[in-house]
Amino acid sequence: MKKIYAGLDVGSLSTEAVILHGDEILGYSIVATGVNTLKAAQESIEKAIKEAGIDRGSICLFVATGYGRNRVPFADKNITEITCHAKGAHFLFPKTRSVIDIGGQDSKAITMDSSGRITDFVMNDKCAAGTGRFLEVMAGALETRLEDMGRQALKAKKAVAISSMCTVFAESEVVSLIADGYRKGDIIRAITEAISQRVFQMAKRLRIEEQITLSGGVAKNRGVVEALKSCLKKKVNVPAEPQIIGALGAALYARNVDKDS
Amino acid sequence: MFPEYLIKKLVHMPVTYPISGLIFDVLQRKESKAFKQWVHFLLKTYRDAYHGKRPVIWINAFTPSELVYGLGGIPALPEIISALVAYMGISGRFISNANTYLSTDTCSFYRCVLGLVIEDYLPRPDLIISSSHLCDGANKFFRYLAQFLGCPHLFIDPPYWSDERGKRYLISQIKEVIKRASSIIDIPFSKERMGKAIKLSIEARAYIGKINKLRQAVPAPFSARDGLSYFTGMNIHSLGSKEGLLFHKTLYEEIKQKVENKEGYLPRERCRLLWLHHIRPYYKNEIFDIFDRKGAAVPFDEMSYLYWGDLDPDRSIESLAEKILSNIWAGPLERRTDAILKMVKDYDIDGVIHFSHWGCRQSCGGAGVIGDLLKDRDIPYIVLPGDGGDPQNYSPGQTRTRLEAFLEMLI
Repeated sequence: MKKIYAGLDVGSLSTEAVILHGDEILGYSIVATGVNTLKAAQESIEKAIKEAGIDRGSICLFVATGYGRNRVPFADKNITEITCHAKGAHFLFPKTRSVIDIGGQDSKAITMDSSGRITDFVMNDKCAAGTGRFLEVMAGALETRLEDMGRQALKAKKAVAISSMCTVFAESEVVSLIADGYRKGDIIRAITEAISQRVFQMAKRLRIEEQITLSGGVAKNRGVVEALKSCLKKKVNVPAEPQIIGALGAALYARNVDKDS
Repeated sequence: MFPEYLIKKLVHMPVTYPISGLIFDVLQRKESKAFKQWVHFLLKTYRDAYHGKRPVIWINAFTPSELVYGLGGIPALPEIISALVAYMGISGRFISNANTYLSTDTCSFYRCVLGLVIEDYLPRPDLIISSSHLCDGANKFFRYLAQFLGCPHLFIDPPYWSDERGKRYLISQIKEVIKRASSIIDIPFSKERMGKAIKLSIEARAYIGKINKLRQAVPAPFSARDGLSYFTGMNIHSLGSKEGLLFHKTLYEEIKQKVENKEGYLPRERCRLLWLHHIRPYYKNEIFDIFDRKGAAVPFDEMSYLYWGDLDPDRSIESLAEKILSNIWAGPLERRTDAILKMVKDYDIDGVIHFSHWGCRQSCGGAGVIGDLLKDRDIPYIVLPGDGGDPQNYSPGQTRTRLEAFLEMLI
């Protein structure tokens, strides 16, 4: 009989949960992390359980990942999001050899072998440029909804030049560009291209191979995805819900651990 | 706890050091004998320095301490003091004070030294001698310190190539440094004294070689956490002194005993790591705790590597030049990469961590090439950005994720 496993990805901006039954995702949820990681973890798992239509007691193993992985007391195990993103991407796209994950405060590039075992990875440094937080700040400066940025970037005909990738300096630069009369769409396109360039330069430190799978919330931004595709010039997969790849990987890890034990 | 002026007064009083030694012996009874000898070496050195028993000569790391012992001076290494200050959890204040004068991109160990100088915590030098073979900024920084303190500064500028021409050039510099230093500190140069320092260094070096050989044992008897603190601290500060020889002999005997008893420093060793770079973070951090928790032994660190050959007391100056020129972190990168591959083999290494100290270009400049070299041989490798002395540049969450993910690759 197939067992049920839960994966929980407690990120800096959002928390995701995935309920896995065999190879089937029974339910998932995405909630804002806010200031209380434990509360977000509870809320996320409850929502996913509700969507899956199961009892909490039927989950045989919980695995937590993400920066808040150590703060989930009900998790049976915890593992880094780097391992989880690789597992999740390899599960959905078995030909994946590289993952680019752009999350709220971190961006990462990961390479793996044909079995999904990580061979190398690289993470951004302390700076939040090239992450979801950067986009969020820019959306605020441009008085645009975050979810509309991708569409607007794709509609723009050209990108204006943005010289700084420091979130603070770029924000004031964007404000100046607006004051100078530049079109909002062109500025947004410049922002998405700047993020893509930043992440691409980081990923180039690894031996990136096809296929590449994008994960994390920023992969929902079509502007960033298209800009990244043009940098990478390789086959790129974008999951239907890129934000839950880490939580999916955690659930898959739970399944492996249970099988091995 | 104590008012500032009282602490400063205590630091400057020679009597503080033997009393501290007694208190240390009582409180740290369980510490190893070698560790205690290291602490007593430092206490004696700084007691003598504050007492003005002999001229105090500041040197930077890798300027051979034998040179100072041979000249008849007391070597003080401000960079080691910075590491100790970081370990005590008080480096932030001194670094912050120094930021008024130096760019925040400057090495935090140097900034901490300047902060300590500004607040007059260090024993006043009669002379500063620095060498640029590892850090190009060293001579400039120590010149700045000399101006700040109003004391003479002599510098050594070793060449890139270690051929005969380069050696001759370096020997001429060391000769000049000895001549001028002897005049500044007013102690005539004695071949016998220099020869004695070299002899003591040779004997200590033999023990370093034996210690490093013992560290190849499985399970690992001695952690790089200690290797990168008191062991390498003594390797750059004590060579040329009787205390240095005694320390290395004691440490050798302690490690030998552990190897004979098959006693590892971890209860269970699941993989073996090599630490690259001359330093590790010395302020409170969890890096080595993560390794320990996960069963990842770090049996060796690059800084412990014995790169120089036997010195010759009859050719003291030539020997010092040869020691400087054989440094694997100076000159062509191939020397360092060859040594790293040897370390990987000798210590049965599963993964390599290259610490990338903020403000250090010397070591980190080669990190990419070293990574490619190791990855070509399927040896997992990670660059760990951080700061050895400034806790403000330590990011616990990101560091934990990087290290745990790296260990998940290995275990």
